[in-house]
Amino acid sequence: MLERTQIYEWHKEHGDLVDFVGWEMPVRFSDIREEHMAVREAVGIFDTSNMFRFFIKGSQAREFLQSITTNNVSNLDINGGQYTTCLNEAGGIHDDLMLYRISEDEYIWITNADNGPKIRDHLLTHSKGFDVEVLDRTKEIAMIAVQGPKALSLLGKMSGKDMNEFGRFTCNPLTIAGYDTYLCRTGYTGEAGAEVLVLNCSKSDEGKKRAIGFWKELLDQGAEYHIKPCGLGARDSTRLEAGFVLYGHELDEETSPIEAKIPYAVKFKVEPHYIGYDAVQSHKKEGVKKTRIGFVMIDRGIPREKYPILFNGSEIGMTTSGGLSPTLDKGIGMGYVPPDTIDIGDVIEIDIKGRHRRAEVTKWPFYDPDKYGETRTR
Amino acid sequence: MGDTEIKDGLLYSAEHEWVRVEGDTAVIGITDHAQNALHEITFVEISEVGTVLKANDECGLVESMKASSDIFTPIAGEIIKVNTDLEDAPETINEDCYGKGWMFKIKPSNLEADLAALMDGNAYKAFIESE
Repeated sequence: MLERTQIYEWHKEHGDLVDFVGWEMPVRFSDIREEHMAVREAVGIFDTSNMFRFFIKGSQAREFLQSITTNNVSNLDINGGQYTTCLNEAGGIHDDLMLYRISEDEYIWITNADNGPKIRDHLLTHSKGFDVEVLDRTKEIAMIAVQGPKALSLLGKMSGKDMNEFGRFTCNPLTIAGYDTYLCRTGYTGEAGAEVLVLNCSKSDEGKKRAIGFWKELLDQGAEYHIKPCGLGARDSTRLEAGFVLYGHELDEETSPIEAKIPYAVKFKVEPHYIGYDAVQSHKKEGVKKTRIGFVMIDRGIPREKYPILFNGSEIGMTTSGGLSPTLDKGIGMGYVPPDTIDIGDVIEIDIKGRHRRAEVTKWPFYDPDKYGETRTR
Repeated sequence: MGDTEIKDGLLYSAEHEWVRVEGDTAVIGITDHAQNALHEITFVEISEVGTVLKANDECGLVESMKASSDIFTPIAGEIIKVNTDLEDAPETINEDCYGKGWMFKIKPSNLEADLAALMDGNAYKAFIESE
């Protein structure tokens, strides 16, 4: 039996559903490219309620969280948030996550859907000995990402608040169109926007009605901004175009955050030292065996995950994600190669099912940051 | 997904390709069911003219926004023509999979036996309903 989010009934009526790591989720509502461009040019909404939401509270919550996450938890002011990772002893990634501090001694941990049960066990195991309580509130709260250059205009209209009050990465309680929420000023598309935790949305009929009610309110009030509901297809294409890592692709138990090139998630001046500290410190100081790269296809062809990467005729690595970039209308991808083998601007080849196709190694994001993304200039 | 169009007079493979025999040539494409499942086709690549294939050999690929799928030839023989219009307009397969969205033409080497292994429209309809 597949799991379903609180908004499933609406998805079933309006979208094409697929099995995504045990969840029955919409892959698209119209066309993936149309949904993708709505996020880049207007506003799109994604149901991300399948992610897990843990509430961690107690006098030793900070110490506990620092003992298992890599960013500096002490840097979090109340209503602050940070992107961070949770490691195994060898420095490999258990999961990447968002951590928000909502009061003096309470934090929200938002983790990937497929890693939810693993992380729940990890939290319960390692919280022993700390004065802290871990609550899984995934099934009481719906989560909707509102993303795009018009996202904050829409949320401002619906809440009657000036969105400039809420800086990037903050997490604040906010009533939006009569719904009690936490507004997390984050996202996974490269665009401005928020991830909204809609409270009191249990999986009862009433809770589902509430979650769908909020979803429909976004669509109704977003009509003037040309809002589109978006599925997992556009979620993957927007995150790939932004150059964001995805667990199970760029991240896994064998890969450290240094190798994954997410150094902003890793801090060393922290107390206590987190699990995996020594391993990532040695990666940082003594170097790594592999490093993440991005590339744009020069030749025709669409890269996908697990395709060999060649340089000067020799195989040097493998891709981890790939697809068509709607804004470039070219194939783009990411993968791992040994460090210091290639530079930005080098031409590599991707083995697309036996056909060797040229690609240029580039920085991410893959879209033109003057035209698209949160820091766009026009 | 809506209704799936199945054309009379064509033969169908379990890999969701269709075959139309035109004189001594076999024309091959993918079915409405296949293009519907793929949705938003963004790229098509077929092996070169002159390639000699056995039945069910892989001979190209179709990319949609979501996934990559291999193309197999239901008919053995030599590729004598590839629909090069699909290079710039792969979405033609979504719009007209049995017409302008044809993919390649084969000069068959074992036509009778290969055709006998395929399904007619009714059998294909039952096949996709049972899938």
